[in-house]
Amino acid sequence: MSLLELQNVHAAYGSARVLHGVSLKVEKGERVALIGRNGVGKTTVVNTCIGAARLTSGKVSFMTRVQKPIRAFRAARSGISIVPQGRRIVPGLTVRENLLLGSAPDRKGPWNLEAVFAMYPILRERADGLGTAMSGGQQQMLAIGRALMANPDLLILDEPSEGLAPVVVDELGASLVRLAEQGTAILLIEQNFGLIRSVGDRYYVMAKGSVVEDGRLSALTAEELKRHVSV
Amino acid sequence: MLIQILNGLVYAGLLYIVSVGLVLIFGLRRVVNFAHGGFYMVGAYAGYTAAMVFGFWGGLIVAVLVLGLIGILLDYVVFRPLQNADHMVTVLVTFGILLVFEDVVQMIWGADTLSVLAPYPFDGTVQLGDILFPVYRLLVIAVAIAVALGLTLWLRFSRAGLYVRASSVDALTTGMQGVDTEKLSLSVVGLGTALAGLSGVIASPLLALSPSMGSSILIESFIVVVTGGLGSFAGAFIAALLIGQVHNLGIVYVPNVASMLPLLLMVVVLILKPTGFARSYS
Ligand SMILES: Nc1ncnc2c1ncn2[C@@H]1O[C@H](COP(=O)(O)OP(=O)(O)OP(=O)(O)O)[C@@H](O)[C@H]1O
Ligand SMILES: [Mg+2]
Repeated sequence: MSLLELQNVHAAYGSARVLHGVSLKVEKGERVALIGRNGVGKTTVVNTCIGAARLTSGKVSFMTRVQKPIRAFRAARSGISIVPQGRRIVPGLTVRENLLLGSAPDRKGPWNLEAVFAMYPILRERADGLGTAMSGGQQQMLAIGRALMANPDLLILDEPSEGLAPVVVDELGASLVRLAEQGTAILLIEQNFGLIRSVGDRYYVMAKGSVVEDGRLSALTAEELKRHVSV
Repeated sequence: MLIQILNGLVYAGLLYIVSVGLVLIFGLRRVVNFAHGGFYMVGAYAGYTAAMVFGFWGGLIVAVLVLGLIGILLDYVVFRPLQNADHMVTVLVTFGILLVFEDVVQMIWGADTLSVLAPYPFDGTVQLGDILFPVYRLLVIAVAIAVALGLTLWLRFSRAGLYVRASSVDALTTGMQGVDTEKLSLSVVGLGTALAGLSGVIASPLLALSPSMGSSILIESFIVVVTGGLGSFAGAFIAALLIGQVHNLGIVYVPNVASMLPLLLMVVVLILKPTGFARSYS
């Protein structure tokens, strides 16, 4: 079953058209990387799924259900959780409250506060402090933990490595691989080769608002990958 | 002096209940809601009329429910459709609603002031030291404290309260986590408007009812909200306490400039601390 499918999606911010025909699909348990240079519209793909960018034509489906109209809360309730670019930890809320916010869809599954604390013990230590007071890496763990609280079938991560030290990126990669092995599908938007290679299996390349290439990462040489990602 | 401070507290209580409704609505909808003063006024009149049938307390419940419904309607037909429009448009629409409500109330109840008696068993006085103080005024203080306590507990410890706090700072992220922020706004605008109605009803035994009673408390509520730090519940509480005292002491000791004092206080606070008393949702 496809968890997320975009068919020939066109999207805009106000009158600024950004996506010109994006088609992609993530099946159950898959590990997919969405790559492309800065500003090609990767985040806009995510934004379109939550109505933050306006779908002008094409179709967005969650769990094979076409979303019409698109409502911000539907993705999470359908089992698609998002770790947004820039993490978007809610200011003024504690670490625990940020995590509890993630459980809003009230979906059954293995993830709860205890399970997230077990995976990222630092979050337990900082549970009653403000989420925004933590370091970038810790905030990234919080954003992932928050997304997991909804017990998603698909986790979308938008440039999770941004601003993280290399060792932290390695740990992040390891925890994403573990998640994938437990059956959570992953759509990883990234520019970090190492992370793309260690987590991804299939890939899509975007350029100027559309998907221009797709395939298996194993068939892609380091040179080719680099060409798709760097500026 | 004690009397003055108590009277200041009474007005602070009314002001707080109105202001905290504004804060709730501002948090969810980012709207400076001029209609809010109108709801305070309509609450007072609705309570006045409903009291003829149901008594004061029954009238209070009816008025609060009616105002809650009006708030829900306001969110559904005004705030939701206009959420992507220029803020100025929404502000003007709410101002228009205030004017319309004032006219409608004047048509139905007339322009003359009406008065309401303090309800039994709070219609007596109580001996405080060597002075007599109306019991009803103490009740108003108690209601304001109950509202503050209830709201604080709700915001801090309930699921819905968490969603309200989250949505007030980042609605997009909150929606992304699976919270239906539109539905949330609907109930919160309803709640905020119901609070304005509540304040209007409990104010009615203290102040004369007139169609313009809403505009005067509205200005001071805006001052409270801004002084408290736009969007802060704790800030609004402190600011209401302060402005209540300033308002009351001003009327007693310097009646000529009394109406300017809260404004002056706001200016001073904003110069010293441009963000107001507080910024977080604590
Ligand atoms: N809110 C917005 N309003 C108008 N234009 C926007 C908005 N957000 C992004 N854009 C524009 O849309 C285009 C695509 O942006 P998007 O954020 O989707 O790119 P991206 O591939 O995620 O880039 P990056 O790798 O830097 O995150 C850019 O030209 C950007 O300037
Ligand atoms: Mg991006």
